[in-house]
Amino acid sequence: MATIATDESAVLIIGSGAGGGTMAYELTKAGIPCVMLEAGSHLTHDDYVNDEWEAFTHMAWLDPRTTSGSWQVATDFSGLPAWTVKAVGGTTTHWAGATPRFRDYEFKALSTYGAVEGATLLDWPISLGELAPYYDRAEKAMGSTHRHGRPPLPANNNYKVFANGAERVGYKLYATGPYATNAEPYDGRPGSIQDGFNFQGDKHQSKWSTLVREIPRALETGRLDLRPQSHAVQITHDASGRVDAVLYVDADGNLHRQAAKVVCVAGNSIESARLLLLSASSMFPNGLANSSDQVGRNYMRHLTGSVYARFDKSVHMFRGETMAGIIADEARHDPSRGFVGGYYLETLSLGPAFLSSFIEPGAWGARLTDMMDAYANIAGLWIVGEDMPQTTNRITLSATARDQWDLPVANVHFDDHANDVAMRTYAYKKAEVLYKSVGAIETRRTPPYPSTHNLGTCRMSERPEDGVVDRWGRAHDVPNLFVSDGSVMTTGAAANPTLTIVALAIRQAEYLAEQLKTGNI
Amino acid sequence: MEEIGMAISGPLSKEVITIGTSVEERKLLVRMLRVMYPHSRFPDGPYERTADAVIAAGNTTPGQALTFAAGLRELQAASFGDLDDAAATTYLEGMAGSPFFALVHGRAVVALYNDHEVWELLGYEGPSFDKGGYLNRGFNDLDWLPDPRITELDRG
Repeated sequence: MATIATDESAVLIIGSGAGGGTMAYELTKAGIPCVMLEAGSHLTHDDYVNDEWEAFTHMAWLDPRTTSGSWQVATDFSGLPAWTVKAVGGTTTHWAGATPRFRDYEFKALSTYGAVEGATLLDWPISLGELAPYYDRAEKAMGSTHRHGRPPLPANNNYKVFANGAERVGYKLYATGPYATNAEPYDGRPGSIQDGFNFQGDKHQSKWSTLVREIPRALETGRLDLRPQSHAVQITHDASGRVDAVLYVDADGNLHRQAAKVVCVAGNSIESARLLLLSASSMFPNGLANSSDQVGRNYMRHLTGSVYARFDKSVHMFRGETMAGIIADEARHDPSRGFVGGYYLETLSLGPAFLSSFIEPGAWGARLTDMMDAYANIAGLWIVGEDMPQTTNRITLSATARDQWDLPVANVHFDDHANDVAMRTYAYKKAEVLYKSVGAIETRRTPPYPSTHNLGTCRMSERPEDGVVDRWGRAHDVPNLFVSDGSVMTTGAAANPTLTIVALAIRQAEYLAEQLKTGNI
Repeated sequence: MEEIGMAISGPLSKEVITIGTSVEERKLLVRMLRVMYPHSRFPDGPYERTADAVIAAGNTTPGQALTFAAGLRELQAASFGDLDDAAATTYLEGMAGSPFFALVHGRAVVALYNDHEVWELLGYEGPSFDKGGYLNRGFNDLDWLPDPRITELDRG
């Protein structure tokens, strides 16, 4: 590991997840020293526990946040709008592993769907064709099954129910991937032992994360100065408006300053937006890089919802890779279904500890125990689809609530768009029909969990007035400030976002390295 | 220790009270939990451990303790312990929006279904990594449906 002096102007990366971790590896590999600030601690596979609540308590981002709006999460989990990770490797240590690419039309949402009332749809400034070579590199890095010669994972029990149902209702595009967990040894990591607990950190290390791949390799270059428990609280700038340093807080609440020649913000969409808002100054009164007033707006969280089905025979859905089952037939734009955009169905399993809390928040009595008693006979799936960007769905700084550092917490405001509601209702019905076709006795519609896909708060736009960053993720207002996570997404598409975040980061790192080399930054 | 404690607290307080720990209160709470989470095949152990978790949660702050104590008094006044299952369920439905009910449910739903004896009763096998995962322990043993395709078809 490198040690970079605090007064040495470094390339500084904030966050170590899919975006930040990838940036660190790509840049250090290209010979560029980097400082990485990670708010959480450096947990590794030995620290992880196969226990849902215990893992949640020591991995999840639990700093206080507030919620508002009509979304059900604000009612069911008012202090927990999102379920992300605060640790080295970020939310890649908790993600399930599904890696579908965004589809061509999803980069052209406004052109394809037309104007949708109440939605702030926009075409991305880049196309699928432009991102395709980076998707290839990301899939190889992550070891996506079904891609580049990587074999598929076998069918687990939950998938058997899911895929048979898919076949019976006429779906064709079902498979056990693409999924970034090794079916056989690859890239120095072992094949899956079907140990489940995909959301609790992977003790076996067969699942890709920046913790097991990009960060150790970046450290091996000798050019990465990784600083865990270093929570960035403000980005400062010089008189010309270029960023020049980041202030951060250590585990004991002491303030530090690291000089920077470039800053890459990758704190996940809620914290990235919050950090820019916390960095307001007399030159940037609405927050750094926010002359457009778009920082924090167009927050997206994917449609989401689950259906759990009870059978009269055993399933044991928890055995094996949690999300190694994907149906892509509904991931298309077909307005005859009553909504724009599309969605995926993906296998999902929760243990009794989580299922009892999430299946129907607040439920008790026979309503709850009828399902819990049948735990071994339950199959489950997740609905993940494109939600509409809306200008009022927004991250702001709370006027009243403060965090452990006495700084304003993020308030997450969200209202479902009518298109979101129509798609969710349609998808619930489809999932119910799927499970009934293979003999389900009863199905339950589970409302959205706290958001795991947090997108869009610093969106990419061709014109500076429409968004926060340009086609490279470079801030329209600040030439040496980049955003390197899912907050750059102009629209959310239907697919799980991690693969796209990694592809965008590989592309951004290549661009940034070139700009540094040619002195254009 | 007791002498020192008394010396510090002086005449204001001679002992600390913990709500819900009397034999009657705890029994009432266990009954409430059985009505809230009616699993006929569960023995008393999980409900008793859950009751202890709820008692701990109900005493985390003086404010919580007052809410907790008021709720228990209400149950006692209604002779909740003497109601049959149907009447007890109806009674709790009337109480469902109260802070006391939220306190009990919020802690109990986590404690009960995180109880390892409950996991066993429900057929959940818990931590798997130390046992080599489920690779050789039934991850694909479902045999009442045909083995499905695992590869992709072209979208066409």
